[in-house]
Amino acid sequence: MRPVKLNVIDLPKTDYTGGPSSLCPGCGHDQISGVIIQACWENGIDPSRIAKMSGIGCSSKTPAYFLGKSHGFNTVHGRMPSVTTGANMVNKDLVYLGVSGDGDSASIGIGQFIHAIRRNVNMVYIIENNGVYGLTKGQYSATVQKGSKKRKGAPNEQPPIDMCKLAINLGCGFVARSFSGAKKQLTALMKAALSHRGMAVIDVISPCVTFANNDESYSSYGYVKDHGEELHGIDYIHHFQPLNEVDIPEGGYEDVQLFDGSVLRLETLSSEYDHTNPTAAIAALHNAEIDKKHVTGLLHHNTEMPTADEDQGLVDIPLCDLPPDMLRPDRETHRKIMTRFRA
Amino acid sequence: MRTIAKVCIPDMDATVNDFVINVATANGTGSQSSNLILLNSLFEMGVPVSGKNLFPSNISGLPTWFIIRASDKGYQAPGDRTNIQILMNPDTWLKDIEKIESGTVIIYNENVKMPVEREDCLVFGLPMTKLARGINPKMAKMIANMYYVGVIQHLIGIEQSALERAVNRQFKGKSSAVEVNLRAIEEGRAMAAEGIDWESPHVVEAREKDENAFLVDGNEAVALGSIYGGINMLSWYPITPSSSVAEGIIQWLPELRDTSDGEATCAVVQAEDELAAAGMVLGAGWAGGRGMTCTSGPGISLMSEFIGLAYFAEVPGVIWDVNRVGPSTGLPTRTQQGDLNLLREASHGDTEHIVLIPGTVEECFEYGWRAFEYAERYQTLVFGFSDLDLGMNNWVCTDFEYPSEEINRGKVLRTAEQISAIENYGRYRDVDGDGVPYRTLPGSGLDPILYRGTGHDEDGIYSEEPEVYRKLMMRLKRKIDNSRADLPAPVMREEKEQDVGIIYMGSMENTIQEIDDMIEQAGLKVSQCRIRAMPIHPDVEGFIERHERVIVLEINRDGQLYGVLRKELPNNLVSRISSVAYSDGMPPRARIYADIILETLGEVKP
Repeated sequence: MRPVKLNVIDLPKTDYTGGPSSLCPGCGHDQISGVIIQACWENGIDPSRIAKMSGIGCSSKTPAYFLGKSHGFNTVHGRMPSVTTGANMVNKDLVYLGVSGDGDSASIGIGQFIHAIRRNVNMVYIIENNGVYGLTKGQYSATVQKGSKKRKGAPNEQPPIDMCKLAINLGCGFVARSFSGAKKQLTALMKAALSHRGMAVIDVISPCVTFANNDESYSSYGYVKDHGEELHGIDYIHHFQPLNEVDIPEGGYEDVQLFDGSVLRLETLSSEYDHTNPTAAIAALHNAEIDKKHVTGLLHHNTEMPTADEDQGLVDIPLCDLPPDMLRPDRETHRKIMTRFRA
Repeated sequence: MRTIAKVCIPDMDATVNDFVINVATANGTGSQSSNLILLNSLFEMGVPVSGKNLFPSNISGLPTWFIIRASDKGYQAPGDRTNIQILMNPDTWLKDIEKIESGTVIIYNENVKMPVEREDCLVFGLPMTKLARGINPKMAKMIANMYYVGVIQHLIGIEQSALERAVNRQFKGKSSAVEVNLRAIEEGRAMAAEGIDWESPHVVEAREKDENAFLVDGNEAVALGSIYGGINMLSWYPITPSSSVAEGIIQWLPELRDTSDGEATCAVVQAEDELAAAGMVLGAGWAGGRGMTCTSGPGISLMSEFIGLAYFAEVPGVIWDVNRVGPSTGLPTRTQQGDLNLLREASHGDTEHIVLIPGTVEECFEYGWRAFEYAERYQTLVFGFSDLDLGMNNWVCTDFEYPSEEINRGKVLRTAEQISAIENYGRYRDVDGDGVPYRTLPGSGLDPILYRGTGHDEDGIYSEEPEVYRKLMMRLKRKIDNSRADLPAPVMREEKEQDVGIIYMGSMENTIQEIDDMIEQAGLKVSQCRIRAMPIHPDVEGFIERHERVIVLEINRDGQLYGVLRKELPNNLVSRISSVAYSDGMPPRARIYADIILETLGEVKP
């Protein structure tokens, strides 16, 4: 019998799996769940330290299908960011993994998406972006590109909200786009997002096999395969990985230092791309939209900003663990306060 | 300077410590300082006094009235008539004059150049703005208000030492401000002493001041109470009249809750809207902290979806509603008890919530900390229900009693041993038979579940099974029902005669005695029962049983408390209660309510 493979904290991958999925067979979201399991396991994150947060929709159901040993909260439609913010304030030591969809984040919850970025909540924010509302039978969402057509009905005529563009404009310190079928790229980006301190947004184009996997749909498997444009080859190097095990690419590459000491190695493909320059990222996204393409990879990275919990100047111990004497002024202080009121 | 007093004023002896001063100004003119100085001067003399600020939803320039009532009987309502009217605002001048009854003292600013043709009143005018310009041209608008303080000081006999204490308090001892304002007051006083040749029909007499007494508003009391309750996360979206709860917490946190190294033990997030504020409360409660937000009716409407999630997924949290006048934007700076229905059953489907209803500033403090205890004890959202009158006006208070109970985090399992000691543990399994299950916290690694707003079984797993749903909903009902006797009991003041019982709640506490006295003048003995929480305490039934006729008295149109009682009382008691509900945005005036009560009881008005 082959010994069970363990990760750096000696846990088998089965400690990171969840219940069986009830999504449609072939759904891109299930591929993303697989990547989340893989990335958390390989990064050696204790599953009990992870908090799985979601809103409402096909995407938001998926936390039941991964990380069964993590607490989670399947909240209300579009409001996952605020619940995550509140939890993060009282327990800053957890790893917050938010899963949302394009309906959840780009329509009903766009305000919360924006403000969570503005506050720089320390979390990974995954948008499982399929361009349609699946649970209500395939209406267009706000991220679907102009001209894209789902299986039934007329093509979409409204311009899209590009969540990556929006996030970059808001000053988000980690913005990436990937494809649910691009396992290697998505896994590297997912690990890097987990290694980032602050808000990390990954917009994952994830085909809806039931309502929008026809060739005229710009988020179908076929279309993304033909129209995807990778900014760079990508490799994630764990901070605990021995250097002699790391492959050195033959061409040019650039290393992105991540908060926990890990490195995201970006291999130059066709042209130079400056992931530190938000203007370049916006231009790349803009050009891709004109060309009806999907540009993928690490779009933007910046570690300068304090996170929402750092902004608070909190005590080191998570607020939810404070002993009673740190939660209530003592009687002597109370007497002083009362005396001051009476003066 | 002009004084009119040759009129026939009906004979009256000067009333002592029993009058109402109404100051008509525009907001943004600095009159708040002069009004608080008047209020505090009387307070310093030990005179039972209350002050009400009737202000507009506006930054500057719209009409504002400040009502000060002195009453040896301790009446705190605005009173049924004005005894001393100050006229400063040209926009309301004519209407203000029209409302004045014969014999009223009128003090006015001559520089407004509006007529005061009331020969049936005692009238005294001063060129207040011009005089103020003589002291400081730049600050004339503000300082002008101090002249009426001086005139009133002369008229009713405010002691100089009390006045000076009040001025010092108002300007926090800042000597230049104290000096300038005292000078204006003194000029006003001297000119009144020289120019007024009639006796004031209203005077104050010093009473023995309770050295423990101080003035405080309900919102600051809630803020302090929350800090003593161990609040870990305040999320808020500004809305009148609740913002000062949040601002109070923010102001007090560094001193009362930061560590000696200046590290915070409570996070504060100004949310992007009320939905997010509620979401943060749920997030904090889910993660094992004590989260709270404060808002008013419109905010509760927006938070309703999250409120249902908290109820169904059993997440603790606290929301304070400082009620303003609805529906919709309503009258944002006026008071009402119009959100009770909303709070009790907020959100879609079958829901019910624990509501704490303070009637005094002391209770605002107490329920401030208790709300967190109830929230974690019952693993649900708990509402504090205050209103603009209680929250934003100053009330006399003698003490905030230090919390009588230790902080208790409720049924939280923190170790594997604790879990294994429970046979067949499940997040939503009613192990103790009291409807309250045990929970584990994120990060503990203990029996993790995915909290959800969808149907779930006793282990927290998604379920649409009819019997699973039914069982869960019935347990939730039992859980909240079980809180009845544990919640603050009603305050009852009963007469032997037991003619009429009045059930009321919240800030009506400040008017009930005056209403009671008016009804007794009509020959009926009145017992009082102040409800302090929802669901209704079992003792309320006994009160109703002991009284032939019971009035449910409240400040809204539809009788919301009456409706809740009808739903929660046994059928045989429902026929005993009658609704008296009235709301016009103003703090309750006793006469209006007393008359409707008498009419409802079939009695002739006195």
